[in-house]
Amino acid sequence: MSTGAEGLRIIEIGDLGEVAGKLLADAGADVIRVEPPGGAPARHTGPFPGDRPDTNSSLHWAHFNTSKRGITLDIETADGLALWWKLVEGADAVIDGSGHGALDAAGGGWEEAARRFDGKRLVWCSVTPFGREGPWAEWASNDLVQIALGGPMMSTGYDDHELPPIRGGYDHSLWMGGEYATIAILGATAGFEAGLADGPELIDLSIHECVSCTVEGAFPNWEYDGRLVQRQTGRHSSPDPTPAWQFPSADGPYMNVIGGGLPRSEQGLDDVLDWMERLGQVGDLRDPKYREAIHASPMSPNPDRRHFSEAIQAFIGSLNAEDSYRGAQDLHQPWAVVRAPEDNLDDPHWTDRGTFAEVEVPGHPEPVRVPTAPYRFDGVTRQVRRRAPMLGEHNHEVYAGELGVSETEILRLAQIRAI
Amino acid sequence: MTISTERTSSLPTETPDGRPLPLAGVRVVDFTWIVAGPQATRILADFGADIVKVENESHLDSVRMGGNPAEASHRFNVSGLFNNLNRNKRSLTINLFHPRGRELLEELIAGADAVTENFSPGAFERMGFGWDRLRELNPNIIYMSLSGFGHLGRDSSYVTWGPTAQAISGLTYLSGLPDQPPAGWGYSYLDHSAGYYGAIALLLALRKRSREGGPLRVDLSQAETGMVMAGAQMLDAQVNNRPSQRSGNLLPYPEIAPHNTYRCAGDDRWIALAVETDEHWTALCDVLGAGALASDPRFGTNGGRVEAREELDAAIDALTRGWDTRELMYALQARGVPAGVAQTTEDKMELDPQLAARGFYPRAMHPILGEHRYEALPFHMQRFGWQVRRGAPLLSEHSDQVLAELGCDEDEIARLHEELAI
Repeated sequence: MSTGAEGLRIIEIGDLGEVAGKLLADAGADVIRVEPPGGAPARHTGPFPGDRPDTNSSLHWAHFNTSKRGITLDIETADGLALWWKLVEGADAVIDGSGHGALDAAGGGWEEAARRFDGKRLVWCSVTPFGREGPWAEWASNDLVQIALGGPMMSTGYDDHELPPIRGGYDHSLWMGGEYATIAILGATAGFEAGLADGPELIDLSIHECVSCTVEGAFPNWEYDGRLVQRQTGRHSSPDPTPAWQFPSADGPYMNVIGGGLPRSEQGLDDVLDWMERLGQVGDLRDPKYREAIHASPMSPNPDRRHFSEAIQAFIGSLNAEDSYRGAQDLHQPWAVVRAPEDNLDDPHWTDRGTFAEVEVPGHPEPVRVPTAPYRFDGVTRQVRRRAPMLGEHNHEVYAGELGVSETEILRLAQIRAI
Repeated sequence: MTISTERTSSLPTETPDGRPLPLAGVRVVDFTWIVAGPQATRILADFGADIVKVENESHLDSVRMGGNPAEASHRFNVSGLFNNLNRNKRSLTINLFHPRGRELLEELIAGADAVTENFSPGAFERMGFGWDRLRELNPNIIYMSLSGFGHLGRDSSYVTWGPTAQAISGLTYLSGLPDQPPAGWGYSYLDHSAGYYGAIALLLALRKRSREGGPLRVDLSQAETGMVMAGAQMLDAQVNNRPSQRSGNLLPYPEIAPHNTYRCAGDDRWIALAVETDEHWTALCDVLGAGALASDPRFGTNGGRVEAREELDAAIDALTRGWDTRELMYALQARGVPAGVAQTTEDKMELDPQLAARGFYPRAMHPILGEHRYEALPFHMQRFGWQVRRGAPLLSEHSDQVLAELGCDEDEIARLHEELAI
């Protein structure tokens, strides 16, 4: 049983498209990651086991390159360039994440591909920071700059605007870009496989646009109401201030209680009040005015809602986080612990779902668990097909076994550092 | 991929300039609501799929409630968020308690490629559309559910919204300053992500079905979308036996400095910048007129700058406060330094020449809201295309059209209206 991308052969180069390569490889495509002989920059991105940098043991690399094969090739040598075109010739798609204009400058880019492969059903997915054209096309950027320019940063941070707006976590512009690159490649592949057009097809993807469209309410607030959203601590940004919904637990972790923890239904209210009463903390909340308050807008400054929410805050502060999480969810209330990612590793729900696959990490003695793509296909075990490739691990397999390069030629290419 | 094109002849199969829409002919009976599910089917609709959005009075998409209707008849039809998420789709209302209404809906499913929903687990089954029934209606159907925890697993009944899933997954925790509470994400980021992964899963499912046949069930968990994006941190926690950390706007791997967001002139204006090389450092000092920093040998290498990070951040912040944020961005980019304004939506939509040059906010008509801008798909294509052809459908706008395609004549459609079946 497959996961849908079987039979696709994809050549990936550069660091900007590695999420797309990962998602397609995990879904069954044969993704060959092409690196310079010294290794891709992503290999040198930590963390590393024991904080000891090593070409093969980056944990960033380990996660972003599951299920791929890896080969080396110096596209700036004549021999390397010739091999590059042999690889592309046998591929269904190329993911070019090597930066604006880099492959074209080396003679291995889209312009040349379009000439060589006229009529061939090849998808060429160019993943660049700003797109292939436009006034900012050659600008420098990284994840921080992308999250700033695209808008998520101004929506994210703290009530106190003396504190800066925040880049939410790590590498999300790469995820947004890679997810949309996957969508674009699969969309074009669907068109080719339906026979709707001849190729080759250029997908000109802009990470700036991927981030810019991942901002939810900020867009309609401006387009329809001319209002800008303001960042708030641990909750949605909004044009007007809204009540808090993130409170600390007795044992430390924060709880996320959307709407300030007020139930949305009469049944929910009764359940929560009974729960608080059992723990001796219902206080004055049985007053009918609070029954009215749950029907007021969660965004409103209603004082009864505020009082109720303060009582919830105190209640949460008296409980351990996992207990209030489970207790509330048993009553169908959308409360959640603000968990560190690794706190999920031992949650049996994810074991039930087979969320984590075991994978080796070079430099670490035991297999580790890595989260798989978030969809389960009936009858398909979720797994990664192989750990991320070591530098040049599949050179022989690909060059000798699949491109028919002779052993002596491989030796020569390695000696002149073309591979 | 084998897909039929004859059923949806009323919809365009190509862009106005003649490029094929790659999913033309794919039909999805779409029960999704709010943001995550409609985000997934929106992408397919942009690619030309016929997304028939099914609602009824007990299952109205609550995002329809937004906006300020000028007239009572405009109620449910003037939400900007809804308009952006549901453009290009068709709207069918159908009363599941009316026998003929249900029968027609089942006929629609029987002829469709996929059914999608993002109700709480179990709700769709209680509506009479369990997996067994769906397969019975259409042995080649793809059924995709999106839910917070997924349909399989002991906590599948847990109730989630975007922020709930963000909290559990670890994303909220990872965002923010280390000495402050989690900042989280200032919107339902995972409603976007679940939609993106939902679109990926549907595209994979269509391809898998064309190769292996159906039926096919896909169970997507929104919280898992957050976990996969936190995978590197999970590996670090296991391998190095240390908890994940928030690091604000700093870059821990590889550790470089300066790498932060600094205040500029004006009300709450900020610039993000990164010094990745010694050349960037020299250029930054030049632009800011910080000769003393440039000539200080302690800061001549990244190692030295990392060591003095707090001192440098304070010094840079003192200088950037005198700058207009856009002028500083242009000055730094002219010298090759990665720098970007923390843009507001106004900046993006009115002042960003890159988004403008690439046509990122195409315009389309909505019958009540009029002409508006929409967020495009974030890539250009050449042979194929995507569309922003029209705004979101009015509630029930296409009911008669869909019923006619199912073979109902005018008399029957009139009768169904009278009997409140649609």
